[in-house]
Amino acid sequence: MPVETPILHAVAVGSVDDGKSTLIGRLLFETGHLTADEIAHVEEASRKRGRKGMDLALLTDGLRAEREQGITIDVAYRSFDAQGRRVLLGDAPGHEQYTRNMVTAAAGADVAILLVDAKNGLTDQTRRHLAICAMLGVHDVIACVNKIDLVGYDRGRFDEIVAEILAAAAAVDGPRITAIPLSALEGVNITQRSAATAWYDGPTVLEVLHDLDPKVGEHEFRMPVQWVIRHDEGGVDVRGLAGRISSGTVHVGDEVVALPAGRTSRISRIDVLGDERDHASAPLSVSLHLEDDLDVSRGDVIAAAAHPTRVASRMRATIAWLDEVPLTVPARLEARQGNRLVPVIVEGLHERLDLATMTQVPAEVLEANDLGVATLLSAQSLAVEPYETNREMGSLVLVDPGSNRTVAAVMVREVLEG
Amino acid sequence: MSTLTELGTLDVLEAEAVHIIRECAAECQRPVLLFSGGKDSIVLAHLAIKAFAPAGLPFPLMHVDTGHNFPEVIEYRDWFVEEIGERLIVASVEESIATGRVQDETGPRASRNRLQTTTLLDAIAAHEFDACFGGARRDEERARAKERVFSHRDMFGQWDPRNQRPEPWSIYNTKLRKGEHFRVFPLSNWTEMDIWAYIQREGLRIPSIYFAHEREVFVRDGMLMAAADCVERLPGEEVFTETVRFRTVGDATCTAGMRSDAATVEAVLAETRTSDISERGASRADDRTSEAAMEDRKRGGYF
Repeated sequence: MPVETPILHAVAVGSVDDGKSTLIGRLLFETGHLTADEIAHVEEASRKRGRKGMDLALLTDGLRAEREQGITIDVAYRSFDAQGRRVLLGDAPGHEQYTRNMVTAAAGADVAILLVDAKNGLTDQTRRHLAICAMLGVHDVIACVNKIDLVGYDRGRFDEIVAEILAAAAAVDGPRITAIPLSALEGVNITQRSAATAWYDGPTVLEVLHDLDPKVGEHEFRMPVQWVIRHDEGGVDVRGLAGRISSGTVHVGDEVVALPAGRTSRISRIDVLGDERDHASAPLSVSLHLEDDLDVSRGDVIAAAAHPTRVASRMRATIAWLDEVPLTVPARLEARQGNRLVPVIVEGLHERLDLATMTQVPAEVLEANDLGVATLLSAQSLAVEPYETNREMGSLVLVDPGSNRTVAAVMVREVLEG
Repeated sequence: MSTLTELGTLDVLEAEAVHIIRECAAECQRPVLLFSGGKDSIVLAHLAIKAFAPAGLPFPLMHVDTGHNFPEVIEYRDWFVEEIGERLIVASVEESIATGRVQDETGPRASRNRLQTTTLLDAIAAHEFDACFGGARRDEERARAKERVFSHRDMFGQWDPRNQRPEPWSIYNTKLRKGEHFRVFPLSNWTEMDIWAYIQREGLRIPSIYFAHEREVFVRDGMLMAAADCVERLPGEEVFTETVRFRTVGDATCTAGMRSDAATVEAVLAETRTSDISERGASRADDRTSEAAMEDRKRGGYF
């Protein structure tokens, strides 16, 4: 188990009815994270709905409307231990209408558990989820070919679907795929192997979650400043720059640069929540002191002076549009990036991902749940990097200043001049 | 000066909670931390203090006092506030009753649980708070498992679970209209075990009723309720003395104790680890009224 990730963030994705909630119920049940009263509750709720046996989906489908309709509307988060490693698992909705909630669950995830119905194969929604995961930088996908019991545990059918998944993954820039034949209902290959799939010699879902070494591409030190802690120390006004380290490690004595202004200084003190240290790493929340009294405030980014971020106001980015009101350009919106809120203009819309053909097509408008590529211009220069280099410096959320709604999740692909 | 040690689960959870607390303090005009004297709000207040030390807290604490709290908890609350030297606002349900804002329930099953919502929303409006930190955790309850970290409330204090704002990465949309507010949950991803492990690691003092003690109790709906003055007993509900501790601490009318000899944090941790009953299942009468009791209360503006 890699020590850098004591908490693994996972998300269960896939089409509606492919069994995400049931799988999560199973995982919790088989790892001993369900108590007697929770099981009794699910049994009673299942009976009330005339279901045979225990409908484990009722564990995470906790909202009244979800239970009435038998679908997942919003993400449910559950924690469990995979043989000693904490897993925080988000159960994402499968309906196209609730893709915005799926984006919430998948952003920041280390691994996606993708469910595919062994009988029905891949749907548009399966491909959409795979595409969103790839764009959000989820590098690992556990592809579960679920309901394998309904196709007689047939190896041929499993291989067929795996081929389809690999082709779909290759089309969206290939996350790492581990494919597992599964029955969430019968508990096959979740925490234990089954004689019914004797032909399968790969890992169980739990084993993958325990062993997974998430690809971390972010090494340079960056910390967006959240708050300046000021206090009086023997008549001297001392300023601690408080924030959470988003990537890399910082040492006392390191030369750093405050962005976007670009002034440099050295680290004189590192305070990790009351504990003074000689160095600290992501994802710790710290307070940094500089040798020089620079004008640094909330929204600025402290970065390694030798390897700063880019400072720019124009960028090309992937936009996951989440709002019912479509995006047309030019659009005046607000962007939250790092700890800054800045006015932005979405200048040009270049293309949109067509899920039926998995190709980029020209686009004039982005509808809710569309994925597209656009150029953004911000009113002030930002410390920004491509998303694939640094997730935190390359991600933005767009807010409509009229409605205050969160309308898009944005991933920077290329930082442009000017 | 200590050197870097291997990061553990608690380090990551602590860093995340502090990040959320600092974000809210920076973005919201008038935040307040809801403090009940329960273990989760104690951990939350401790994290808030760490987030801004050596400076003081940039927001006050607020307790919604039903008037039916355990005396040990009120005593602890007052000690804690004195100890940290911060400001506490008390929003009183008694006062809401006295001024006719709410009607007290009567009878053996009377509870002020629902009345608290009005007192809380009145206090939020009176102080113009635009963000309330709460100690709720996603592992507590199935409706809570669905809630965002920055959870939007409309002018009526309502939560709309079908229409939550997307919350990708740890970027929070903190925009509000006047009269609206956020409930902010820095402990969203903590479990009951994490809370106890953190109390142990940080050496936090907590109210005595969390540890085994002798108490006069009676049995109701299979749960051990404290024989408090504010609870009217039904015929046949005989009072007896038992060694109990409380796993959650709320109002005496809706919080049950459990038979236990666990008198230290270590013993509580060991007992919790092997428990076959959930925290709220063990101790909360208020969740048993219906399948969606928590969701319904939250929609109305409850904690």
